[in-house]
Amino acid sequence: MHIQQEMDLYEKLNILTDAAKYDVACTSSGVDRRGDGKHMGNCTAPGICHSFSADGRCISLLKILFTNECIYDCKYCVNRSSNDVVRTSFTPEEVCQLTMEFYRRNFIEGLFLSSGILHSPDYTMELIYQTLFRLREEYHFRGYIHVKAIPGADPLLIEKTGFLADRMSVNLELPTAESLKKLAPNKSRAKILLPMRQVQEKMQENSYDLVRYRQAPRFVPAGQSTQMIIGATPESDFQIISVAEALYKKFSLKRVFYSAFVAVNQDAQLPALPGGPPLLREHRLYQADWLMRYYGFDAGELLNEKHPNFNPLLDPKCDWALAHLELFPVEVSRASLETLLRVPGIGPKSARRIVQARRFGRLDYRSLGKMGVVLKRALYFITCNGRTMYPLRMEEDFILRNLLAAEERVPLEAAGYRQMTLFDDFSEQFGVS
Amino acid sequence: MRSTIEEQEEECTVFVCEESVDGILTAVYDAWASKLGLMNVSVQAGEYQNRRLFTRYRSVETDHEKAASVASTIRRRMGMEDYQVLYQAALSGDAHRGEDIFRTIVLGLAVWKRKNITRSLQEPSVLRVFELSRTVGNEAHRYRMFVRFRELENGVMCSEIEPENQVLPLLGDHFSDRFPMVDFMIYDRTHRQCLVHRAQKPWVILMEADIDEELIRRYSEKEQEYARLWKGFVKSIAIQERTNPRCQMNFMPKKFWKYMTEHIQEEAE
Repeated sequence: MHIQQEMDLYEKLNILTDAAKYDVACTSSGVDRRGDGKHMGNCTAPGICHSFSADGRCISLLKILFTNECIYDCKYCVNRSSNDVVRTSFTPEEVCQLTMEFYRRNFIEGLFLSSGILHSPDYTMELIYQTLFRLREEYHFRGYIHVKAIPGADPLLIEKTGFLADRMSVNLELPTAESLKKLAPNKSRAKILLPMRQVQEKMQENSYDLVRYRQAPRFVPAGQSTQMIIGATPESDFQIISVAEALYKKFSLKRVFYSAFVAVNQDAQLPALPGGPPLLREHRLYQADWLMRYYGFDAGELLNEKHPNFNPLLDPKCDWALAHLELFPVEVSRASLETLLRVPGIGPKSARRIVQARRFGRLDYRSLGKMGVVLKRALYFITCNGRTMYPLRMEEDFILRNLLAAEERVPLEAAGYRQMTLFDDFSEQFGVS
Repeated sequence: MRSTIEEQEEECTVFVCEESVDGILTAVYDAWASKLGLMNVSVQAGEYQNRRLFTRYRSVETDHEKAASVASTIRRRMGMEDYQVLYQAALSGDAHRGEDIFRTIVLGLAVWKRKNITRSLQEPSVLRVFELSRTVGNEAHRYRMFVRFRELENGVMCSEIEPENQVLPLLGDHFSDRFPMVDFMIYDRTHRQCLVHRAQKPWVILMEADIDEELIRRYSEKEQEYARLWKGFVKSIAIQERTNPRCQMNFMPKKFWKYMTEHIQEEAE
């Protein structure tokens, strides 16, 4: 192991950012906190992104590890103890300074503090707590703070930290307990779920306190989230979204994040991914996740044991609608909001606009388009004043063919399909060279 | 040009006003008070471009009291939501916004006489107002994201933007709530307006502002260092295996990059 005593802030920041980047969550949403007129910072419920990195992911929070020293040896992680990388740590003071100065320049919405396990879970959690305490109580920072609860740390420490943070997260890491055992020998499912349950129960308790005393300190007001690595282990999409659904329902999580596995380590236990990280699969999982959270779908409706994986060519909602043509077409001027939400091409916003607009007048296809309905998808599934947009056949094959033609460019990795080109495909045939 | 106007047989009068919100509201007041018949009048913000036949043009002197009375009538009778939408639409740079705003107000106060007009998107002028408002709101939100303050030698946090619409009024509350103890300014180069906030004072917008170009280039000592740290951060946070410039530009179009610290190439480097 390579340890440097003196390292300047620039290097430290680069190393500890680099080590933190595989954490996906970068949301600053879920809490509305006005400024107090004296101290810096506020929060808005939808959250604000401040930049986008070269990989197109949003930068909302200063996402850093407190330290990349770690006693654990998880096979998928850059910071595992058996890796030979430069190790370093921030001091609480440095983290506070960076947060305040970045925030002042409108670079960030707040801090996302995670950490490798230094010495012991308790020791690390204590350091994180100290940092947050300083940031909130000495610097009076009122912006967003997302912090990791470290499994195995003293519940009291986690509770104290929760009163300083807006969001807490514990990473589930892998979808099933067996996979976790295989790839992260030092962690266990039970140990990970313990702080998650604790945070959930404390939030519940806190909500009662808040009813009684408006000024009671708020515990993790923006809720908790978690993340799973996708594609490092052999679980099916169905297993993954079922786990996510259980987390939403039983642990009242705000978000579950999916992180396409990036092979940072060479290990016999890990899959080789010659095509790069499984980004399309990750994308489909997020689509399904949205369907479960905002569109009223259950995991069991989208997939089942017979069809355990998402269709790479079609988004989950179109896929579902095609399998349930008996429910369509729906009449937009009468259908309930819940029904509208299930139509491909209609989202929560356009569904709400339709419901509001139709109270005062007739709808037509032109105004539907203007309201944000994606007609190239929706037209097969709706009627407006009793008519479909064009004469249509309600046949699965016909709709599928048309949807695929209108569909967003299918990413290359959707395997096997390629647009024909004149020169590559026909040159021999026509004798052109 | 709108067919509703062209088809009118009677002569039409257009009230031409300043580009500002108060200008447009004053013109609405005058057009209404002129008693020429609501279908025979219209409002146009900005200079007379494309003069129409059989149309008289009257220029309107901006009067803040008239504007305030129209604003309060809209708020009272059409509701806060409609007012917000109309206000934002008035901030846009669209040449026809005066007329669409006027038509929408006529619908709200004289034809349908109800609240939440701006939800009835089947109506063409309402839809256009709604779209303008959304465009302006979206641009303002983009600037809430992408404004970058740089610390000047005199301690003021300074930022420059080049928006298409007059977004400054929509940024004032957000940033002054966020930085109550900071002296900051946001300079809008397109409209030559400047949002100025002094610690613990309400924010103001200076119109026709001329800025000392020298002064706003003299950054404090710490500024360079934090700009370097931030650039380093932005570089290291990206996952190489996932590089996707298209996605990045979708979310953050290049027109915003000009004044963003992470994309500015310093001369010193």
